[in-house]
Amino acid sequence: MFVVLAAIGVAVAALPLVGVAARTPWSRTVGLLTSETALEALRLSFVVATAAAVISLVTGFPLAWILARSSFRGKTVVRAIVVLPLVMPPVVAGVALLAVFGRRGIVGSWLDAVAGVQITFTTGAAVLAAAFVSFPLAVLALEAGLRGLDERLDDAAATLGASRWYVLRRVTVPLLGPQIAAAVVLAWARALGEFGATITFAGNLRGRTQTLPLAVFEQLQSDTDAAFAMSMLLIAVAFSVILALRGRFLR
Amino acid sequence: MTPRPFLLICVILITSACGGGTRGARDGGGPSSRLTVSAAASLTDAFTDIGEAFEDANPGVGVTLNFGPSDGLATQIVEGAPVDVFASASGTWIDAIDRDGPGAIRRTDFARNALAILVPTDDPAGIDEVDDLARDGVQLVLAAEGVPAGDLAREMLANAGIADAALANVVSNEEDVRGVVTKVLSGDADAGIAYVTDVTDDVEDEISLVEIPADVNVIATYPIAVVSGAQEEDLANRFIDFVLADGQRTLADHGFLSAP
Repeated sequence: MFVVLAAIGVAVAALPLVGVAARTPWSRTVGLLTSETALEALRLSFVVATAAAVISLVTGFPLAWILARSSFRGKTVVRAIVVLPLVMPPVVAGVALLAVFGRRGIVGSWLDAVAGVQITFTTGAAVLAAAFVSFPLAVLALEAGLRGLDERLDDAAATLGASRWYVLRRVTVPLLGPQIAAAVVLAWARALGEFGATITFAGNLRGRTQTLPLAVFEQLQSDTDAAFAMSMLLIAVAFSVILALRGRFLR
Repeated sequence: MTPRPFLLICVILITSACGGGTRGARDGGGPSSRLTVSAAASLTDAFTDIGEAFEDANPGVGVTLNFGPSDGLATQIVEGAPVDVFASASGTWIDAIDRDGPGAIRRTDFARNALAILVPTDDPAGIDEVDDLARDGVQLVLAAEGVPAGDLAREMLANAGIADAALANVVSNEEDVRGVVTKVLSGDADAGIAYVTDVTDDVEDEISLVEIPADVNVIATYPIAVVSGAQEEDLANRFIDFVLADGQRTLADHGFLSAP
């Protein structure tokens, strides 16, 4: 019985993959993935996911450091708020971003009035949506890595006269290298898959906000073959990421 | 946090990152038979009322309504979704289920709808007429190509002779016509092209309607049909009868024009 349930579990996970693989027109995949729509979406997805991963790393590292190394009142609350976008339905994330950065949003209305800048419908909005949902992953991965480091190494360096900045640069970051790479890859992969917040907040325009998942969604209603080819590509990328990280996080 | 649950969270989130789909279905108590109707997004309010009236007139019958873009609904039916009745915003998508399967029977036009320009009430870009959509910097939102409202909007812009300039102003192609309304409602789009019927009571305080002159406007004709092999074929026929009879007043109340 136990084994049967486990087998059902595997089937639930695997069957959709088999389904997509079966529907993917393999002989035409290259052609479908080099169509103008697909290439634009690929290019944009790469740019958006990379920008989101960089933002997640740069802002996530100091935060992870503070969460891992210091204790202060309300830390649990801070961490909960930071992790929230991970479990928030993506469309809600989009609505939330609109409420802040939309033309009538808290920050958006101010930007519009002062600088005449509108964020919605821009590539920047797509990056913001992707960063919003990938940031927590980066923070959690970095925090887990920082906790695994021996803090005494930092202390030892400090007693030898190293400044905090020097310790960070020459001791902590090199030791944390693999975790930093994992955090970036995880954030990048999550950003690559972002759909709900993007279509709600950034809209859907080829070359500007139409990332791969949005292109899949649009093509599914016109060119089903292209949609399946792009879906297969996204699955392959996600699968590669999991395989690449397996050694790091499954032990 | 230990590494193990962390991995679990990551895998779950990465693999579930894509979402989206059609608007939800409505369910009743425990009716003896259930009719599934897929209807164009622009019919959301009218068919919700008609579905309720049909349930009232037919005790023991439940109606499940599935709203979305006509092209998406047609794809679902072609892929085998168990749908009894399909009400499309364009004949193209009834043709599609006829051509790619499972087929449509008793196809009848039941309503028409005119396009309109929707702008936020504060009208940030000062849109007073169709030609204003061609002005530089106007943030225009359309339904995507393939969606009836999107195709008709492009046809209308061509009729008005401003297709190139207006299409260059498009900032988003929405999955269905309700998506267009949403972007105008939030105030982020300067204008959207949707149907006259999309300015419902719920949104009339936030959205103003700019009429499109009859000589450039395009009228959508809505066909309805029973999906071949429907589980509830009798009920499906009765539902279509109902739409063509009592339903006509409901449709008119929601701003639809009668079929020719």
